[in-house]
Amino acid sequence: MKKINNKTWIMIAASAILVAIAINGCVESKLVAAKSGAQLWAENCQRCHNTPSPNSFSHEQWATIGLHMQTRAQLTDKEREKIVAFLSQ
Amino acid sequence: MKKLNKLFFLLAMSASPLVALNSHAQQVVTDSTLLDRITTLEQQVADQKPGESHFMVVGLATFGFVQNKTIFTPPGGVSSSVKTNSLANADNYELSPMLLWRHGKNFLVEFEPSFDGTTLGVNWANISYFAAPGLIIHAGYFVVPFGIYSKRLAAGWIDKVATDPAGFDLPGSDFGVGVSGGLPLGSMKWSYDVSLTNGLQLLPDGELQGAGVADNNNNKTVSGRLSLLPLSNSSLEIGVSALHGGVADVGSGYNNANVTMYGADINFVKTIDPLLINIKGQYNRINVNKQNYASPTDSSLYSFNNKTSSFFGQLSVRPIGLDQPILKNFELAYRYITYTTPSNSAWGQNYHESDFGLDYWLSWRTVLKLSYERTHALSTANSAIGGSTGVTDVNSIYLQFSIEF
Ligand code: HEC
Repeated sequence: MKKINNKTWIMIAASAILVAIAINGCVESKLVAAKSGAQLWAENCQRCHNTPSPNSFSHEQWATIGLHMQTRAQLTDKEREKIVAFLSQ
Repeated sequence: MKKLNKLFFLLAMSASPLVALNSHAQQVVTDSTLLDRITTLEQQVADQKPGESHFMVVGLATFGFVQNKTIFTPPGGVSSSVKTNSLANADNYELSPMLLWRHGKNFLVEFEPSFDGTTLGVNWANISYFAAPGLIIHAGYFVVPFGIYSKRLAAGWIDKVATDPAGFDLPGSDFGVGVSGGLPLGSMKWSYDVSLTNGLQLLPDGELQGAGVADNNNNKTVSGRLSLLPLSNSSLEIGVSALHGGVADVGSGYNNANVTMYGADINFVKTIDPLLINIKGQYNRINVNKQNYASPTDSSLYSFNNKTSSFFGQLSVRPIGLDQPILKNFELAYRYITYTTPSNSAWGQNYHESDFGLDYWLSWRTVLKLSYERTHALSTANSAIGGSTGVTDVNSIYLQFSIEF
């Protein structure tokens, strides 16, 4: 394998630091924090396909699908938690 | 009378222990049946105990019918036409089970084999680790993050028209590692999705394809998409993508061949009562740096500007707010595509496509689609190296059924 040069390492380190700062600096507004699971479900799941009915899957299945959809839709962790809690009711 | 009262009193007194005894016996019986029922219920609950892991199979199936008419007009010549129809072709047959394993709260394994009527391929074989809020690390074989179509919209039960848009196959699925996440930004949101993969391979005619599990060179490819959801209701998402990597086989005669891709995408979904409005679009650009290619006819060298661009824009509306149970399940869609491959290459063309779709949703994940698609391709290929010239028009009608199960 070709040796990764110093410049590349510096670039990788710099971007890792930037990402870390960006992730930590991200907070939600009060408006967003107050949203219920039902509202987040209605707003987010229709972005790609029709809004799924909560009856389609069981509690355990929704927990798995929640992770799966987080990888597809880059949901925030809070969104996923609230939506899964709502769908499992 | 007094005596009689006394007698009654005595009788009652002597009978009372009997009554008490009887009710006690009843109590014991009730308690033991209750206990039995509780034990059975406990057993049932224990049988249902979720545990830390969970496995499920979902998936999708799409099949249908297509009829098309192809009209070919050679330069300065007379057109000829061919009609075909078939019950399932690569564009409208697919069965892909999606196996999902959740391991605790932080791991998800996904494996999606896919049968397209001729080959059994794989779309996803990937492990994700939910490392921290806003940080998912994943590795395996996955759809490379670039734009929105391939990763998010390609499933038959998600796509509003029967076919995939032309010109969005690359970068496709690849082997590698990646990080992604979505994060709040006040009332907005942003997301990132970045990967390092084996990358693409430059073919002798200048086209690109996925390099596969064994890389064709020592260069890895970086690809990523950044997106912003500027509205607090998440209705609008704007994304930009980029990819860069080496594409030449080791030891090939290409001169430091590499590819740079850029992309932009938009997604807007909102109910403006009674209509659900859905706008989706993506623009891709693929640039391969200047190279000399060997002509297949006489092995002489030739070159061309190896730049490809593709665009699709799609609008669909569904009267979701209507009380009419039948009407509210219909959705109307229109999609426009342009796809320009390099002129003077062996595969150069200016391609346009217009698609009209009428969908009927049997449930949120089951759809019957009727699509009419018109394509027009003007060849800009180099005939000296074997490229075919002329104009090809294809009109197709699709009837397609798709389900997520
Ligand atoms: C960014 C696009 C996108 C968003 C937003 C989205 N999904 Fe999905 N969803 C998909 C795709 C793509 C699939 C098909 C899986 C595949 O093959 O990639 C899917 C599949 C599913 C499935 C089928 C089971 C599975 O896991 O494959 C369910 C259920 C589902 N989504 C629920 C949801 C819910 C609930 C939400 C809202 C939180 C949601 N989706 C939001 C893209 C999305």
